[in-house]
Amino acid sequence: MISKKSILLMQGFFMLLIWLPAGAQQLSATEIVKKTDDKFKGEQSGYSVMTMTIVRPSWQRSVEFKSWSKDNDYALTLITAPAREKGQTFLKRKTEMWSWNPAINRLVKLPPSMMSQGWMGSDYTNDDILRESSVVDDYTHSIEGSETVDGRDCWKIKLLAKDDADVLWGYQVWWIDKKEFITLKAELYDEDGYLVRTEKASELKIMDGRNIPTLIELVPAENEGYKTILRIIEIKFNIKVEESFFSQQNMKTIR
Amino acid sequence: MKDFQLAWRNIWRNKRRTLITAASIFFAVFFALVMRSFQLGTYDSMYQNVIESYTGYIQIQHQDYIEEPILDNCFVADPEMIKKVESDPNVADVVPRLESYALAASGSRTQGVMVLGVDPEKEEKLSGMKERLVKFKLTDTAIGSLKLSDIPDRTKRLLDLFRNEAYSSTGRMMLDLGISTEDSADVLPVLRRYASFTNEYLSGSVPEGVLIGSGLSAFLKINVGDTLVLMGQGYHATSAAGNFIVAGIIKLPTPDIDKRIVYMPLETARDLYAAHGLATSAVLSMRDINDKAINATANRLRSLVSLPLAVRTWQEINALLLNQMEADNRSGMIMIGILYLVIAFGVFGTVLMMMAERRREFGMLVSIGMQKRKLAKVVTIEMLLMGLLGVISGIIASLPLVIYGHVRPLRFTGEFARMYEDYGMEPIMPTLLPDTYYLWQTVVVMIIISIAIIFSIRKIFRINVINSLKA
Amino acid sequence: MIIQIAWKNVWRNKTRSLIVILSVAVGVFAGVFAMAAMNSSVVQRIDAAVNEELSHIQVNNREFRSSSDIRDLIQGFNEVDSLMRSLPGVNSTTGRIIIRGIASTSAKSAGVEINGIDVEKEKEMFSLHKKVIPGTGSYFESETKFNSVLIGEKLAKELNIIRYILTPEAVAHLDSLKIPSVVLSKLDPVYGERFTSDKKFNRELEKLLTPNEIKKYSIQIKEAAWSYREGAKLILTFLDKDNNQTGAGFRVCGIFRTNNDMFEGMSVFVPAGELRALTGMEEGTWHRLIARLDNNDLTDELTEPARKAIPSYEVLNWKEIQPDLAMIADFMGQIYGIFMAIILAALAFGIVNTMLMAVLERTKELGMLTAIGMNRKKIFSMIMFESIFLSIVGGFAGMGIAGAVIALTAKNGINLMKYSEGMEAFGYSAHLFPTIDAQFFITTTILIVLTGILSSVYPARKALKLNPIEAIRTE
Repeated sequence: MISKKSILLMQGFFMLLIWLPAGAQQLSATEIVKKTDDKFKGEQSGYSVMTMTIVRPSWQRSVEFKSWSKDNDYALTLITAPAREKGQTFLKRKTEMWSWNPAINRLVKLPPSMMSQGWMGSDYTNDDILRESSVVDDYTHSIEGSETVDGRDCWKIKLLAKDDADVLWGYQVWWIDKKEFITLKAELYDEDGYLVRTEKASELKIMDGRNIPTLIELVPAENEGYKTILRIIEIKFNIKVEESFFSQQNMKTIR
Repeated sequence: MKDFQLAWRNIWRNKRRTLITAASIFFAVFFALVMRSFQLGTYDSMYQNVIESYTGYIQIQHQDYIEEPILDNCFVADPEMIKKVESDPNVADVVPRLESYALAASGSRTQGVMVLGVDPEKEEKLSGMKERLVKFKLTDTAIGSLKLSDIPDRTKRLLDLFRNEAYSSTGRMMLDLGISTEDSADVLPVLRRYASFTNEYLSGSVPEGVLIGSGLSAFLKINVGDTLVLMGQGYHATSAAGNFIVAGIIKLPTPDIDKRIVYMPLETARDLYAAHGLATSAVLSMRDINDKAINATANRLRSLVSLPLAVRTWQEINALLLNQMEADNRSGMIMIGILYLVIAFGVFGTVLMMMAERRREFGMLVSIGMQKRKLAKVVTIEMLLMGLLGVISGIIASLPLVIYGHVRPLRFTGEFARMYEDYGMEPIMPTLLPDTYYLWQTVVVMIIISIAIIFSIRKIFRINVINSLKA
Repeated sequence: MIIQIAWKNVWRNKTRSLIVILSVAVGVFAGVFAMAAMNSSVVQRIDAAVNEELSHIQVNNREFRSSSDIRDLIQGFNEVDSLMRSLPGVNSTTGRIIIRGIASTSAKSAGVEINGIDVEKEKEMFSLHKKVIPGTGSYFESETKFNSVLIGEKLAKELNIIRYILTPEAVAHLDSLKIPSVVLSKLDPVYGERFTSDKKFNRELEKLLTPNEIKKYSIQIKEAAWSYREGAKLILTFLDKDNNQTGAGFRVCGIFRTNNDMFEGMSVFVPAGELRALTGMEEGTWHRLIARLDNNDLTDELTEPARKAIPSYEVLNWKEIQPDLAMIADFMGQIYGIFMAIILAALAFGIVNTMLMAVLERTKELGMLTAIGMNRKKIFSMIMFESIFLSIVGGFAGMGIAGAVIALTAKNGINLMKYSEGMEAFGYSAHLFPTIDAQFFITTTILIVLTGILSSVYPARKALKLNPIEAIRTE
């Protein structure tokens, strides 16, 4: 699921493990999706610095943060700007999320009622961050053709949610760059077939040795003029970090 | 003129007959007015209570707030604008509020709550918050002491059922614990001694003091003096988080709200949500609350207040209540309709009998040469005069009752009264002072009289002189 | 003898008698019918509450209602269950798991109360299975490998599972209902567009149609456009017994419609087994025991014994859980009393007047009777008997009409659609089926007949005071 993928970016996960042979066209839809997914999940650990801008019709706001992550299960995020939010941390351990706010000196585990709210007010929900659905296992895949996005040649792949999968989306459409196996654009549809969200990745740059999109835009379909923009400032892969790093104690002391 | 004099003399010729006929109309008017007065008065008082205790009659909001009541749809509480609004002759006060949601946490428990930032004094004047402060709580210690005291056994047995129950008024507590009004003089002081609850209202001087609902207090297991943590999203997606001290506990009748409500001083809320100088609504306290005055005021304010603000009346804010009121009103009108049916028969019966009684007289007059048309005219005037007599006396007779019912309304007793009190409504059935409805009821009665007159006229024209003389 | 004369007198002056009879009949009809209508509203509400939502008696862990904590169970459920069943008058019992959670679809989420139920037992105890909207599925009947959940219409609308779309089929259906094609073509711009809420659809309709057309056709248009995504998926999220967040995808197996918006919006039902698997709750553990009694009237007398039998848990009957319900019946009684008092007073005065006038009219006749020797007592009795006959005839007529109208409307009901929004928000049906119990019926009729009789006393006494000489000479 692409939102998961974006989150992983946020958490600084990245991997470029698989080199594609020239005959990439022979891959099946599922294989393509798997490769793309693996590319973003494969990295063992990572560190990133990002800014997130929330855009609304009458205002916009930016938040800056640093993230550490390990495998798929652990992540620690520290908000570095603006001043009011500075020092807040979020800890993800498997399917649980904790938040620490120095202003109230309080560690809180996010209850189910907050899952559908946007993280830090953005269009990414806490649910998006935590939910563990597999884009490979929970969907069936088919190649719908080839299209160009931002001047790059892409496969257009349809991901149809399986009946017994715990996913809210009816289906998704991904545009995957044929060379880099990066999803440059994704459209998420509900069960009725109505577009709910569009995600776009662009501004590919080389960071820490890999070619990655550094600008990600999330556009909810329902509201005019709503957008969340993620920009990767810095990213490091395969950093040395233990599981013990992702602790409640560390939430309070990390700088 | 001659006809009139004739009619007049006729009426007073047979006083008994006149009085009986007028009496039937008198009763019709009297009952109709009294019943309608009670109905309208009761609706008024009920709905007044509901409206005043929360939404108020008029609110100023951001124009988008009514469709989407979220924090981001707030407006700048410009002092200039507020002054202008306050200067309106019908506006007594402008009470600002900042409302939003948050997650309340204590220990490991969390609960979604509604936070209301209010101006403590203004809000108290508007909705009587202090009334809602918990005055009694049946804690374990209290129950222990009470069981050893000399209150009636019946009450002692009921104590366990209401363990940990909080009360903001004696009414509900008396109901729950089976204390009758006779016992109350003896029992209440004992309860006051053991089960009193110390509480304080909000004050601007203790900015982090908040009021929480008793249900919330029970759920999070926090009490006066404990810390309440609130977190959520602020204005324009900023983070909202803060520690607060529970200054007091209130009890609201609806358990769902009671479990989720937090009141705090307006400035404190503004700090929490990073919404400085902003408000989600400004509730206007009115001097004259009848419909016309409210609408007139709303119109005046609309020209004072500019976009993106909007002036909303309670009908727009609480469409559901409006729907219920209309349903109530309809059923009331049906009841009055039934009353009219009964009354109408009374009037018809009387008039018919009167006509029958005067058959000989009419026959006589026609036989000596009076034209039927003239007779009809005279009789019509007679009946109108009697009708007028009945109507006026009916109105006058109704006035003392209506005024008394308004000044000293009927009070409900028993369980039902306590339920009313629970909801913050006075358990009374007041009357409505004379208004346009007086006119309407009179019109209906006049219509009934007219129908009676028409029937009488027809009878006159059908008079068979010979038969009537034989009567 | 007097009686026969009285009877004949009654029919001698048909007009007068008819008027009095009608007055009494109208009084009876009005009183009875009004009461039936009001009564039915309350009776329906109580029935619904008992049969769909609460049943008669509930047993909970003492902390449960305030904490809603999954661990506040009824320990040793089986013993508590058998204790309850041992009470005479208890018809059936069942247990429920109750968990607060969130239901979400891709568009929205809402807080809900998840009820884990024993499907078969619930069918015996509650009538909710009859309230499943036809065409939306069933009460857990279908064999499916997916988790199933039963939700209310209000929740389904909130989560966009129910929406309004003017599909070609919907339009064809409207056409067959004889909706004028002029109206249908006005709706063209919104064909195929999906509206996720009542309000939004209404707003579009208001933009496209005239107020008159809306009054006439909007209900049918909305009904035709009402559509539901079968087997819709939603995700229920909640905390398991170790306070960890868990959840799963569920398929909506049916949508129920009651008249209670709050109930429809908050309560969802899931087979208990599915909840146990997700929360880790053990077999045979429940949060609540619900008991259904043989009939509603036993509620009060069985509550205390139940409490005594099960001292360590909180035992409540439906009146204690929703006290305002119990009080409404009381309230209705009071309102009725006041209403009837006024009607009776008006009736009394009307009859007094009519009879007085009648006496005046019969002055000559009465004077004649006195002159030929009929004594005062007999005259008095004669007039009284006349009134008695009139009142009785009127009373029966009124009863007859009331009974007929009640029977007529009882079938189709009185539909107050216009007020349904306000009423259903409080759980009251806007579709009234007037009912009344025999006792009320008879009491009312007797009261009214008595009034008729008593109001004739004054006129009858007046008749006695007539001076026979003058009377004969009267014109």
